[in-house]
Amino acid sequence: MNNEHSASAILERVRENGAEGDLIIDEGKTLSLRAQKGELEEHKVSSNLIFGLRVVKEHRVGTAYSEASNEDALNSMVNQALLNASFAKVEPDEKITDISGSLKTDDEILCPSDIVTVEEKIAFTLSMEKELLAKEKIKNVPYNGVSDSIVQRSVFTTSGLSANSKQRYCSATAHALMEHERKTVMEGSGRVSREFGELDYRTIVEETYCRCLGLLDGEAIPTKHYDVILDQEYQPALFSTFASMFSAQTAKDGVNPMRDKVGEIIADERLNISDSPHLIDGLGYTLFDAEGTKTETTSLIKDGYLQTLAHNSATAKHFGVKTTGHASRSPKSTLGINLHQLHISEGIDSESILYSGEYILITDLAGLHSGANPISGQFSFGASGYLMTDGVRVRPIRNITIAGNFYDMLKKVSAVGDQLFWNQGRTTVMPHIRFSDVAISGS
Amino acid sequence: MGISLGNSMLGIQVSNSVIDYALSLGADFAELFVEQNHVNTISTLSSEVQAVRSGIDFGIGIRLVYRYKVLYGYTNQIEENELKRIVKELATKDRRDPSIQKTNFDYRKIMEAHPAKKTLSKDACIESKIAFLLAADQSARATSNIISQTSGSCMQREQQIEIFNSEGLHTDDTRHYTRASLTAYASDGIEQATGSSNDGGLRGWEIKDEIDAEKTGNEAARQALVNLSAKACPSGRMPVVLGNGFGGVIFHEACGHLLETTAVAKKASVFHDQMGEMIANPVVNAVDDGTLTNEWGSINIDDEGLATKKTQLIKDGKLTSFLADRLGSAQTGFECTGSGRRQSYRFAPASRMRNTFIEPGETDLHEMISTIDKGIYASHMGGGSVQPGTGEFNFSVQEGYYVENGQIQYPVKAATLISTGPAVLKEISMVGKDFELACGMCGSISGAVPTTVGQPSLKVDDILVGGNA
Repeated sequence: MNNEHSASAILERVRENGAEGDLIIDEGKTLSLRAQKGELEEHKVSSNLIFGLRVVKEHRVGTAYSEASNEDALNSMVNQALLNASFAKVEPDEKITDISGSLKTDDEILCPSDIVTVEEKIAFTLSMEKELLAKEKIKNVPYNGVSDSIVQRSVFTTSGLSANSKQRYCSATAHALMEHERKTVMEGSGRVSREFGELDYRTIVEETYCRCLGLLDGEAIPTKHYDVILDQEYQPALFSTFASMFSAQTAKDGVNPMRDKVGEIIADERLNISDSPHLIDGLGYTLFDAEGTKTETTSLIKDGYLQTLAHNSATAKHFGVKTTGHASRSPKSTLGINLHQLHISEGIDSESILYSGEYILITDLAGLHSGANPISGQFSFGASGYLMTDGVRVRPIRNITIAGNFYDMLKKVSAVGDQLFWNQGRTTVMPHIRFSDVAISGS
Repeated sequence: MGISLGNSMLGIQVSNSVIDYALSLGADFAELFVEQNHVNTISTLSSEVQAVRSGIDFGIGIRLVYRYKVLYGYTNQIEENELKRIVKELATKDRRDPSIQKTNFDYRKIMEAHPAKKTLSKDACIESKIAFLLAADQSARATSNIISQTSGSCMQREQQIEIFNSEGLHTDDTRHYTRASLTAYASDGIEQATGSSNDGGLRGWEIKDEIDAEKTGNEAARQALVNLSAKACPSGRMPVVLGNGFGGVIFHEACGHLLETTAVAKKASVFHDQMGEMIANPVVNAVDDGTLTNEWGSINIDDEGLATKKTQLIKDGKLTSFLADRLGSAQTGFECTGSGRRQSYRFAPASRMRNTFIEPGETDLHEMISTIDKGIYASHMGGGSVQPGTGEFNFSVQEGYYVENGQIQYPVKAATLISTGPAVLKEISMVGKDFELACGMCGSISGAVPTTVGQPSLKVDDILVGGNA
């Protein structure tokens, strides 16, 4: 039985049980490679298939998934989802959307054909490690690798929606250990693309080497408050860490401090933040969300004022607004909310203003997953970077911490750059922002 | 010993055929890891059942080794032809004349050392779990009207594994994991703060008899209220007393990962050439023990089919053992410690920790705090990370207090501790008596695996505290 027939049989059983439902079928294939000491250390290939069902019966929601695809396993999945729903609370807001018809992404854009052979990918992996090892003071490249994966997602609903998307993700990363006169540092770099042929290991090698060399002699600086600019990787990472501030789901759950602040000023008036799913250069480019709702650009913060939260159909109904097309769901998860591509508009400050005087350029943050509390906005991370004056490096800095409250920081902006950049993962686009009066702990 | 075909998830004949096919392509070692994983998770929010989720993970991991090179593949499909297709694809670049011809499996079952009664396949006990979570919720809310929200979770899973390899090993095991947690949110109308409490074990839902819902709720609420009243944390280098139990996460991250042959073999660990040397203050004794009955990080066999062990890592400050999986052992020459672990069939195994802890010492907690002029008592640690190559780590403090003149002064928020593994091991000057274990999930190269951390309270004489004061 092919996936479409399986989906049809599963949803028919859902209907027979007096419920409505949606079914996600994910199919994927991945190749990943790692090098060590000039040889291929790991060569991994995989194929996987998973079914994830959500049912709504008598206003109660249940989910179940199965990686086994035989008829018994899929029938068991339906029964389990219905049983799970019977224990859940009454949820009047969550329904299967009444969207019907077929939606399909453009394979030429999101899943271009692979013209790079496995042999060439192996050669790429080995060359990346070899060229880094050949660099002065590089002792090891312990973490490196490339991957090429295709993920095909099909969503079917009892309302008659059939949505299919197929995406290719290619990536290459390297982390090198530099050692000199008993000092060590490990730094890395990476790139992602939809086409393997667009990845260039030489860029990764040079970036990794320069990051190591730049920070090798880094030391702590005196503890005090400084102006801070984060680099192209960690400024987006910091915003992503606190992205749940835009989630109507956490607002509905009572754990989002922005819940009652729509219409209020929550950031510096120079900050304009939106979610822009139609920027085709990003890997978060998408035309419809997990419920089949068409996506559009959503203004989240305009001139410092919170415009809206990001909604799926359930949170929209709860708050009495329209969905913003931010529904997310995977085969193993319940209905949630995700931003597609966070986009901060460029400001008016030229480099001479942005980089004037003394500030710290942060090039590494450690502990983003554990040192932040999105409920309170408090954070404290390990950090590395450079003490800068007028855009010029004065000295490298290591073994410091940066701490504060992210929601307060949004109001302590002293400059917004006039140039946009994408992060390495190509999921966010923004200009550099200069934050003032940030607590740095060091010597 | 033998196993009937009916008990095997993959089947002896298929396994034999696939492994022999790998050997015919010249592999030095071939392995099949078959896994079926049943999961059930109940979550509560706002004193109601938020969701009940369940699922079945199923797949087969195929590992071929050519000398030290690992070729790994996985699939959800059980057909012999699909498994052989993956083997052929993996071996394309490395195939050579075979040196080993045929495999004869010898089924061996390691004695089950972690009994479980209320297992998922018998009964998911959904009503009982809901009652537990709602009782914990009520107890948290009864603590104070400042508790504005609670969320609870109860996860149970039953992982069946079966392993075949070209050395004739055929074994299987079933692991029963159960874990319950509650998070409380406190709000004074301006700020919000959180507190949490959790417990788990390698056992069934009978764990409910040992974890008290009221205590779980009270502890989460207590911590949330303390954090709501917390002041900005002072910054700079200072002495820190690390609390017992989950405080052991620092040893786990900052030192434990550096003792895994996954890092040692690549010389990506600062300890790779220090076996037998003093790497810690002599008061430090550290162990990784997979045999502790029903503990969260325990196993009967590792994910390569080898019996697990107790491994003394550090004795009186001296490095005495690394944690070695099969490949790490071959690469470094150190004995296998039954530490080859992986999250699922999607990952090749790697050397990983199990229940890792610093053994108890002789000092009272109050005595340690009384020696601090200006410093921090980090009673509950949060998560963190380490860079194995340099040993640099960072950890957040989940509940901490400023200490002055030997007395606790006030709670602090948003604090992070940073240092390096080698430095902090030498700065441990006092080891307490109040030993405790705590469960967590450890993420690394072979995925996220259940691990226990533990320690008594410890005094670290000098560490950088990152605060916001």
